Amino acid sequence: MKMKGLFVGVLAVALTLGLSFGAMAEEGVTDTEIHIGQWGPQTGPAAPWGSVARGTDAYFKMINAQGGINGRKLIHHMFDDGYNPAKTKAGVKELQEGTGMFAWVSGVGTAPGLSVVDYLMDKKIPWVGPSAGSLHWIDPPKKYLFAVYPLYYIEAKGLCEYAVEKLRKTRVAIAYQNDDYGKNGLQGAAEQLAKYGLELVEQVPVEKSDTDMKPHIMKLKKAKADVVLLWVTPIHAIRIVGTGKAMRFGPQWMSTSTCSDFPFMFKISKGLWKGVIAATFGELPDSDDPLLQKYKKEAYEKYAAKGERWGLFYYAGILFAEPLVEGIKRCGKNLTRERLVKEMEGIKNFKGIGGTINYAPLDLAEPYCRQGQKEIFLVKCLDGGKYEKLTGWWKIK
Amino acid sequence: MDMKRDYYEDVQFFSSGVVLFWFLLLLSFLAVLPFLVKNYYIYMANYMAINIIVAVGLNLLVGYTGQISLGHAGFFALGAYGTVILMSKAHFPFLLALPASGLFAALLGFLLGLPALRLEGPYLSIATLGFGLTITQVIGRIEFFGGRQGLHTPDLTIGPWHVESDRDFYYLLMIITVLLVLGARNLIKTKVGRAFIAIRDADIAAETMGVNLTFYKTLAFAVSAFYTGIAGGLFAFVLRFIEPEIFGMMMSIIFLAMVVVGGLGSLFGSIAGACLLSWLDLQLRNILSIPYFGEWLEALSKSYFSITGVSNIQFIVYGLIMVLIMLFEPLGIYGFWIRTKIYWKTWPF
Amino acid sequence: MLDFLQTIVSGVAVGSSYALMGLAMVLIYKTSEVVNFAQGEMALVSCFFTYLVLEYHGFPFYVAFPGALVFSAILGCILEFAVLRRAKEPTILGMIIITIGLEMILMGFVSWKFGADPKTMPFPISPYDSVALGEVFVSSLEVLTFFVALAVMAILFFFLRYSKLGVAMKATQQNNMAARLMGIRTNRILMFTWGISSVVGCLAGLLISPMTMQPYMMWGPMLKGFASAVLGGMTSLPGAVFGAYLIGIIENLFGGYVSIEFKSVVAFAIVVLVLCIKPSGLFARHYVKKV
Repeated sequence: MKMKGLFVGVLAVALTLGLSFGAMAEEGVTDTEIHIGQWGPQTGPAAPWGSVARGTDAYFKMINAQGGINGRKLIHHMFDDGYNPAKTKAGVKELQEGTGMFAWVSGVGTAPGLSVVDYLMDKKIPWVGPSAGSLHWIDPPKKYLFAVYPLYYIEAKGLCEYAVEKLRKTRVAIAYQNDDYGKNGLQGAAEQLAKYGLELVEQVPVEKSDTDMKPHIMKLKKAKADVVLLWVTPIHAIRIVGTGKAMRFGPQWMSTSTCSDFPFMFKISKGLWKGVIAATFGELPDSDDPLLQKYKKEAYEKYAAKGERWGLFYYAGILFAEPLVEGIKRCGKNLTRERLVKEMEGIKNFKGIGGTINYAPLDLAEPYCRQGQKEIFLVKCLDGGKYEKLTGWWKIK
Repeated sequence: MDMKRDYYEDVQFFSSGVVLFWFLLLLSFLAVLPFLVKNYYIYMANYMAINIIVAVGLNLLVGYTGQISLGHAGFFALGAYGTVILMSKAHFPFLLALPASGLFAALLGFLLGLPALRLEGPYLSIATLGFGLTITQVIGRIEFFGGRQGLHTPDLTIGPWHVESDRDFYYLLMIITVLLVLGARNLIKTKVGRAFIAIRDADIAAETMGVNLTFYKTLAFAVSAFYTGIAGGLFAFVLRFIEPEIFGMMMSIIFLAMVVVGGLGSLFGSIAGACLLSWLDLQLRNILSIPYFGEWLEALSKSYFSITGVSNIQFIVYGLIMVLIMLFEPLGIYGFWIRTKIYWKTWPF
Repeated sequence: MLDFLQTIVSGVAVGSSYALMGLAMVLIYKTSEVVNFAQGEMALVSCFFTYLVLEYHGFPFYVAFPGALVFSAILGCILEFAVLRRAKEPTILGMIIITIGLEMILMGFVSWKFGADPKTMPFPISPYDSVALGEVFVSSLEVLTFFVALAVMAILFFFLRYSKLGVAMKATQQNNMAARLMGIRTNRILMFTWGISSVVGCLAGLLISPMTMQPYMMWGPMLKGFASAVLGGMTSLPGAVFGAYLIGIIENLFGGYVSIEFKSVVAFAIVVLVLCIKPSGLFARHYVKKV
């Protein structure tokens, strides 16, 4: 009798301790699952960027099929915010206070991201790889926010440096979208050109709603630019290049990584994209990099929806999630947010399908401690959407 | 509903003791709400409250005065930017910055009302549309307002009360919303409200009866702009980050839809319309998680449509609800309410 | 001088696509006093349908394009029959909201079916080849749009003035009850109006789509088309075309010489200024409502 009572008592204590260990686990983490959240514009004018979230989804499914990370499966919660910050905030709050996310990954858009960054940082929730190369994420650096996408600012610097030093062109102009994305590019280009004692010969703002590019081309033509940087959406970029051709204006076009999906751009522009130089932050869709091919076979071909295109935006979703997955792997069985931050700070020379990723312990004076990828490389578009590598992986200061 | 027997009954604030009772019950329910539901629903309630203020203001213009405005997102933006700028750059306290930006929006509303004196129908809608677009463009141009990069909202402190969480903000919003809605109701019951209604029904006849068209039409614009400006200022605190892109044409159209779907010329209607459309706005993205319907939609997408665009069902449902409500009841949600009341009043005949 | 000429020519070119949308909107307003916000999306559905037929079923252009026009006519008729006629005693605002709702449904439908990636329409005339008039360049697609716009305007103008159906349309707008008393089947007239307007919109869409095709492509042209229709007077067809060219030219002049950012703003500002002087637009007769 007494033994039985003792046995029951010990069992009860053990169960309570065991359950409370389960209960004391980090929010969003159980013994078998890790909840990761993401938002993306699946509808609305920014819908082409919705494939980023779908890419991460396929990537997580691939990891789960291979057994998960340290025995835990990644549960991906993605929702559509239509690029509307009010909806982003609503969705983030709903998921965070409902199911409870362990961390957030990617997430397209500077404005939607900025509307939730304070909320996430106040609650000490890690966020890895915002899908926008804006200076806002790292300036000032925040403990729980790890940026991956190389800054637009950096891309502009790289392109200008190449144009002036390698192509020996001095008349550089820029057509930029009139928002944070374009303004960052403008800033980078102006700063880099100032180093050579040059100035931008023309800065042409483009509104997202503009359909007719002729006034813009006329201004560029009047300034006799021989290099034009394109800091706009792919559709506007094609319109500009096309209108330029119709008006017999043919400078060296250079664009950012958003327009670097050459097979796609070549097809949509009906061949106009030939000869454009682009900066890119990851391997190109038809590259023979083994890791990229592995993702294509294991993630895209098995889990992508019918009609999904293997394009840059799609595997960018994988690119932005790679550091997070690496960080979770390094935490082992003991997965907490603080541990994740510490492990991520220790990531050095990690290479996925993007450039090398380095983080450093938090230093409020050094914004780059939270900027993972600082390198890009330049490619030129050839016939048929093929590409020619112009530089290797290039770290810009 | 019931016929009013004398002037004092018409002007009375609560038409009977029963209405007063239900109103007080509603207020106490609203006061207790944050303790009953999860935080996310409080955020939703905040969003709805802001849309209620806008819808009430817009209804004063569209429903009671018969004008049409597709540019109210411009006033919304003015209110938001005005409040944030006054608080962060000029260090005004919140209780001063909010009415000040509302009054500034009202001034611009008055200016917009001047062309409205001669225009009507689609002509007025283009004028207001142009106004809305101009405001966002001008704000985006000026670097002092943060330009295209947007502004972060400063923290909100009213005296000793630090308004931080959704729940604190909920109480602040509820007080302001209730006061503004009661103010609108009061306005309608006075001479000003009756002048508005007269202008809507027959403006030339109203003028011959002595209603100063210029004054009252511009006043209608100014008052609705004031309401929208206040709502914009509060929205800046709900979202904590504002930039010109948010205040686009789609926002103006949704505001107008809230008013029309809810019911023109009825405060209850605009409240209902605002609640319905903002709830749909925030919740429709979860449409695929409805148990049977969601799976059927997904299966349908896989076979005939693209699965990548499946979230666009939101738009289809949203548009469908708007169209169906307007087809079956031109008076909107308020019309449904009236019909239900009449049915039950005269039941079982 | 050359720049000035180029700007004017570009303005005329861009005005043509606004003119087609404006014509479509004026046509519907002329017969039923409804501002059709779904105009752009009706054209969008037809364009994407053409794309579907061209890409996946491999029909040649000469079959697909007339097919698209027929499809858009049927679509317009069906929309009017199924949706707008069912509205019980609608107010003007109510009808506007119904068209906005339709617009959302159609856009959601197209995005759902086709996904959001930009696509490209195989069109025989490329938007990137240009014709040179001296030193001034204009793309061949724009030349086509210009002629199509003028042709459509001429056809519609003579149709409305001299054909039986056209006169019946005008009668329906002026006094619905009297028209019915005279034996005109107003319901059928409304259906035809929507059909014809949808065809005009489809032409506009087909001429816009060779540049790029994405579900949001018709919003901008529709707004500018609406503005030009208002500028020219919502009841006047030549007015819509004139307004469109005026807006196109002024926009481009402003963009070239003053500021590119405020280009679209200036268009609306011009419209408001003109409306302050002539409240019903440039060419329409101003009907003062009697008490």
